[in-house]
Amino acid sequence: MTANTVPDSAQCPVHRPGRDDRKSAGVAAAHFAPTPGSTLVDGFHAARDILRSPKVRQAGASTEHVDKSRPDEISFFFLDGDLHRKRRAAVAGLFAPKTIVTRHRAVMDRTMDAIVARLRASGSHALDELSWQMAVDVAAEIVGLTDSNSNDGLARRVKAVLETSVNAPTKGLGKWIALARTLKRIGTFWNKDMVPAIAARKLAPRDDVISHMVQAGFSKKGMIMETLSYAGAGMMTTREFIVMVAWHLFDNDGLRQRFLAGDEADQFAILEEILRLEPVASFNWRRAAEPIDEASTGPVAAGELLTISIRHANTDEAITGPCPFELDPDRAKRMKVNGPYLSFGDGPHRCPGAQVALHETRVFIDRLFRLPGIRLVSPPEIQWNPGIHGYELRGAIVACDPA
Amino acid sequence: MAQVTFIAHDGAVITIDCAAGQSLMEGARAGGIDGIEAVCGGNAYCGTCRCYVDAAWRGVTGAVTEIELPMIETAGDGTPGVRLSCQIAVTDKLDGLIVRLPDSQM
Repeated sequence: MTANTVPDSAQCPVHRPGRDDRKSAGVAAAHFAPTPGSTLVDGFHAARDILRSPKVRQAGASTEHVDKSRPDEISFFFLDGDLHRKRRAAVAGLFAPKTIVTRHRAVMDRTMDAIVARLRASGSHALDELSWQMAVDVAAEIVGLTDSNSNDGLARRVKAVLETSVNAPTKGLGKWIALARTLKRIGTFWNKDMVPAIAARKLAPRDDVISHMVQAGFSKKGMIMETLSYAGAGMMTTREFIVMVAWHLFDNDGLRQRFLAGDEADQFAILEEILRLEPVASFNWRRAAEPIDEASTGPVAAGELLTISIRHANTDEAITGPCPFELDPDRAKRMKVNGPYLSFGDGPHRCPGAQVALHETRVFIDRLFRLPGIRLVSPPEIQWNPGIHGYELRGAIVACDPA
Repeated sequence: MAQVTFIAHDGAVITIDCAAGQSLMEGARAGGIDGIEAVCGGNAYCGTCRCYVDAAWRGVTGAVTEIELPMIETAGDGTPGVRLSCQIAVTDKLDGLIVRLPDSQM
């Protein structure tokens, strides 16, 4: 189904043969493993139609092992239909572009001040630790995790919970061991991060996710699941994307100069094109709740599991135009396509924090590359995170002239 | 197919053909209407595809839906006829539709 039209890049009529600007393509190809028994969806139009279809349900990432009989105790991520939409809509304003500009931008600037001071004081630093600081501070503010003893500790605890809960074993002894470990870590996260945040918001509500949940009467379990979904996703994926963008700009003088000379719109176009080529998560999954038969998808039977390959869809020449593997910031405008293509997903489950991620990346990169003497001392090593089916970039060291 | 006229905040007028079955936002993006940003891709999560339906057409396009309300409120936009264009389905009945665009989608 959905034959992909990714061409042989050596045939690109415009540019030199074989040009492929992707940095994560190799590791992604090495780990390319659609779920056994599922149907691969790799064309852009089919992928987008599936993701937008009201006839499919969320799947993958443990979704089908989650007990959905008590929707108020599970994350919005696992819900579908009206229930999902209402949960998303209740806090959607926190992620809207206007809110980012009027409220979250100040957090981004403040965090970046601290990051710049940290880097200039030491002269060099691990890039992923700096991007992690930005991702954690911004996510914590939006979610309302602002009463922990430190954001470093908060980030460690969120990551620890997600590492044991995402794609955990679903049967046998491994299931019970993973469950026990997850529960212990959730308990720590609850006591150290959520209890103080909830207490503070009961006294003085704010405009954040936890305040909303307190006011709406979420259960303890419901609050934990919702918080981990919003905070975890924002922290873990943005950390990687920031490093990936920096890596591209360190390696490409022309692109870096264009970014620094460009207005915000052009900077976003560059970020979105990098994201098209380097989506942090490689797959989405859906299960058909009823038969689908669109022109783009062909017949899909009720109950069929669909593995949607974001990487293939994003490089489908039918929607990218020629040279799909080349980094071309003017592509989306020329093709009249939404810049990130499907890197944030699409349809009702599209990433709620998409605009936040783009804005904080833009702020981070713009400030970083204006530092005197900024340079990449060592490039990152690409690793693979099977939990999100995406890349992790570790070990990059950046240096600048000391303060 | 419906012919839709977009009037920008500065008065510039552009009329385009929008295919039935699309959302008005999709038709506008495909037709090169710069004032429609739609950064969320049409999910009513961003409020950057706002438009103001001409008074004569509001009965045809319908009122603001529950899905649109949170983003319109976040934008603080109380302009009469305000809608998210991603939530307006293009049909042949919209042939001749006139919408205006805000000064900024932020």
